[in-house]
Amino acid sequence: MLKYVGKRLIQILILLVIYIAVIFFLLHAMPGGIKAMLTMNPNLTPQAREAILHAFGLDKSLWIQFLTYLKNVFTLNLGISFSFYPTPVWNIIAERLPRTILLFTTATLVSFFIGFSSGKSLAWKRGKASEYVATVIGVITYTVFTPLLIFVFIWFFGAYLGIMPINQFLNPDLWLKTNFTAQTIFLYLLLTISLVGAAMLAAFAVARKVSHKVKTRKIIFYTATAISSAFAVFWWAVSPYGIYGADILWHMVLPVLTVAVVSYAGTMLVMRDSMLETIKEDFITTARAKGLPDKVVRDKHAARTAMLPVITNFVLSMGFVVSGGVITESLFSWPGMGMTLLNATLGKDYPLASGALIFTGIFVLFAHLVVDIIYAFLDPRIRY
Amino acid sequence: MSAVLEVKDLKMYYSTKQGMVKAADGISFTVNQGESMGLVGESGCGKTSVSMSIMRLLAENAKIVGGQILFKGQDIVKLKEEEMNKIRWAGIAMIFQAAMNSLNPVYRVGDQIIEAILAHEPDVTFEEARERVAELYKLVGLDPKRMDNYPHEYSGGMKQRAVIAMSLACNPDLIIADEPTTALDVIVQDMILKELSKIQKKLNMSMIYISHDIAVIAEVAEKIAIMYSGKIVELSDAVTIFKKPAHPYTVGLMSSFPSIHGEKKKLVTIPGEPPNLLNAPDHCRFAPRCPFATKECWEKTPPYEEIEPNHYVACFHPQNLRKQVSING
Amino acid sequence: MATKEIEGALESPLTIKMKLAWRSFKENWKIFSESKIGVLGLWIVIIFAIAGFIVYPILAATVWKPTLSGMVSYDPVTGYDFTQMLNPAPPSLHHLLGTDPLGRDVLAQLLYSTPREFALGILAALITVFIGTIIGTVSAYYGGAVDTFFMRLADLVLLFPFIPFLIVLSGMIQIDLFRLALIIGLISGFGGITIVLRSQAMIVKVKPFIESAKVSGASNPYLIVNHIIPNVMPLSFLYMMFNVTGAIFSEAVLSFFGLLNIKMSWGLMIYTADTAGYIVGSNIGHYWWLWLPPGAAITLLCGAFYFIGRGLDEVVNPRLRRR
Ligand SMILES: Nc1ncnc2c1ncn2[C@@H]1O[C@H](COP(=O)(O)OP(=O)(O)OP(=O)(O)O)[C@@H](O)[C@H]1O
Ligand SMILES: [Mg+2]
Repeated sequence: MLKYVGKRLIQILILLVIYIAVIFFLLHAMPGGIKAMLTMNPNLTPQAREAILHAFGLDKSLWIQFLTYLKNVFTLNLGISFSFYPTPVWNIIAERLPRTILLFTTATLVSFFIGFSSGKSLAWKRGKASEYVATVIGVITYTVFTPLLIFVFIWFFGAYLGIMPINQFLNPDLWLKTNFTAQTIFLYLLLTISLVGAAMLAAFAVARKVSHKVKTRKIIFYTATAISSAFAVFWWAVSPYGIYGADILWHMVLPVLTVAVVSYAGTMLVMRDSMLETIKEDFITTARAKGLPDKVVRDKHAARTAMLPVITNFVLSMGFVVSGGVITESLFSWPGMGMTLLNATLGKDYPLASGALIFTGIFVLFAHLVVDIIYAFLDPRIRY
Repeated sequence: MSAVLEVKDLKMYYSTKQGMVKAADGISFTVNQGESMGLVGESGCGKTSVSMSIMRLLAENAKIVGGQILFKGQDIVKLKEEEMNKIRWAGIAMIFQAAMNSLNPVYRVGDQIIEAILAHEPDVTFEEARERVAELYKLVGLDPKRMDNYPHEYSGGMKQRAVIAMSLACNPDLIIADEPTTALDVIVQDMILKELSKIQKKLNMSMIYISHDIAVIAEVAEKIAIMYSGKIVELSDAVTIFKKPAHPYTVGLMSSFPSIHGEKKKLVTIPGEPPNLLNAPDHCRFAPRCPFATKECWEKTPPYEEIEPNHYVACFHPQNLRKQVSING
Repeated sequence: MATKEIEGALESPLTIKMKLAWRSFKENWKIFSESKIGVLGLWIVIIFAIAGFIVYPILAATVWKPTLSGMVSYDPVTGYDFTQMLNPAPPSLHHLLGTDPLGRDVLAQLLYSTPREFALGILAALITVFIGTIIGTVSAYYGGAVDTFFMRLADLVLLFPFIPFLIVLSGMIQIDLFRLALIIGLISGFGGITIVLRSQAMIVKVKPFIESAKVSGASNPYLIVNHIIPNVMPLSFLYMMFNVTGAIFSEAVLSFFGLLNIKMSWGLMIYTADTAGYIVGSNIGHYWWLWLPPGAAITLLCGAFYFIGRGLDEVVNPRLRRR
């Protein structure tokens, strides 16, 4: 297992270097790239031009430039942002990356859960009218133009029902008199969520060790989850930060919903196809012949095995989800990586834009690694 | 001897776009306590369809349209799914045709057997179930240590043995072994089959062996049913089937396989096309390939009759028998 | 003389080929037409094509012709309506889908953009399929280092944050429709499509007819072009549909952010309305005609090509077919 993770880690690192190289050559070394941008001003004297190029190291050979660039990325030395002068690019990214991670992870978990369970039921109840309806809805949400979906959400929840906040990361009135920043609260939130997640994982592992009965396992897992979440909720409720944390979470609902709706159908459709294939397998007939209840055959045998190609597909669709994330962030003014990237581009803040792009890629690559490890846990044929 | 399984006039059809596939069309036989029966026929004649009907594991487009399947006197055709689940594995277990793929690749082999035990005997603890699996492993000649391995770590023969161990897990009254060894090489095939037969006798279970190879069946079955195109055409004890096969198809089958006793007979294949079960005709289905077919055979289906004690044949012109009669007379 | 007669009686190889192609087309069409979703997609594409390539030129030459008085122009880019007091105006008899904040007719903009979306989508997809087919078959045929290199590259392209990259790129160079099609086509040509076509080509590669062609002295490039590529073509065609969807979607997103150097497109229509403040807050429900028609058009056309792709999937992958 460790060997496998190590191998994947090395592969990911190699991919990372190639990725940085691609970005470097496409953005920095291309005619009309950064070099042209910096020296576009026709009033520049040749000396000034030289000085600028020298300052950015652009007078060196391409190879040296690339190595410098690579070193800079790995030492997080990404330059100074133009628009937030003189804040270093890395500081901005360090502030915004966690927000994207939270949004992306939550939305992914929600969409995977919805897609997985609906795809499972669709295949199991094949040929019913509900299958047709769900497939059509799934395909529509899958191909919908994300901004259109967001407009519909904003119109419906924000304007028509008036129950959801729109176009803000926080409620400004609420935060006016505070002596702490939103970032602090946000980090506390992130910490809480990670702790609850860790508690759930631990409960899961303990349950598996302690008992072999599905019922007992479930009881252990759910009580542990309930206790840890109750504890977290209690802590926030009595702390003075409670209302602020709730405000951030409340503003997260629609963005999460959007990303989940856009991406769940991919999981659902693949799960359905994979499940239909798996049902035909002989071990499913065996499971039925063993007299296991229908539900156990479906969940424990068919769905569990059919899940593997779904996870592979999920890796492949990660680029798509990240793109959906950029649109969602900027339309809901959720100040994560996507919005940073877009605003930096629009504001001609090149160091920030390319830094954000690099880190979006790094984020995707690491998400890939995480999914790979999960996959290895789920498929014994890989684990050993 | 009490009957464990009585199949009476079973009819199971598949509905397809082209029409009805009558995969089991009036099948009747009985398996007694401790008895082993062989079901033999060409590929596609409906053997698996019969066994799947007994387990009530039908394909979406399949339906039992008539007949009874009495398991210890209870008609399981009419049972509710939950009641049927109680009979599956605890009453009737099965070794599938594709044993290689009968194990779920993502679970440990031992756990898959334990799962069956715990599903039927909720009072048994996990540790007790593990012990029982270990014993079963020894019984089928596997190292109990391999319980915690995954299927991909087993060889084909080991998987086969594990599947046999799994079929024994709940002490079933009847085991249906659908071509349990086709995927293996001949030597291993023979060995496993003999062991299976030994276990069956030891535990006094009933058994249905299914195969397209009559030579394989002859070694282990006391009673043999010959199936052709969705119907049983001949049924008797193994000795009778071999000594005086009455149906022309049985005669053909005997000559199409090399004898088990090593006599080098010439391999004769039965001439003509294997039958098409789709929209089967209502005359004798073997008529197009039968050297003895007369006008009668092309007009109606021969009745399935007991031509001598415990020897059933569906043919207008039973072979050998007549010879014998003439010799005696 | 006898042989000549026989040859005359027989059909020429070309006609036989044509007939065979026609027959296989008919068979495949039958399978495709059983897929409801595929047929639906085809209809949507046909309707859009008629609207963009036929209806718009006719309308522009007749009803929407600039009047002599010069009070109303239906030009999608420079149009205006002086008889209208307030812009954007809701749908009316004169402007079936209303006008945009600059007084231009929304329906005219919608129809005018349609052929451009087709051109962009199909050009990008053609480039992708062209590159993907060549790389996929070459990787499969030669294997070794070439294969490894292109497969790792494909892994990377699959994970590549495509839209973010295009956003940043658009800040550095001017991107118009043609350039966009080139960039999208080029990058995705090295992506997932090569993996799929490679595995298909691997299956074809080991078929006996390849071996016999090799024995009869065919060169490698000849084999790839004449034997392997024709056999992966159906799959290429299938992926082309998905790539059209991707390209149109990307264009829409970029022009929606106002990052493209173009005069009119569906995405740009929404951008114009958005930057003028008509899609913000509670305005959104009042000015629905500014975002709903172009948004729906993007969704429908993207969806339609995707539907066709899924329909074709059933032709190409028999395992998905129902009995
Ligand atoms: N799901 C199905 N739908 C339609 N026809 C089927 C279906 N399953 C099996 N058949 C047909 O029913 C007939 C009997 O099939 P069955 O699997 O019972 O044969 P078999 O005797 O077990 O053959 P083999 O020795 O090859 O395993 C065959 O003609 C087969 O084509
Ligand atoms: Mg069979």
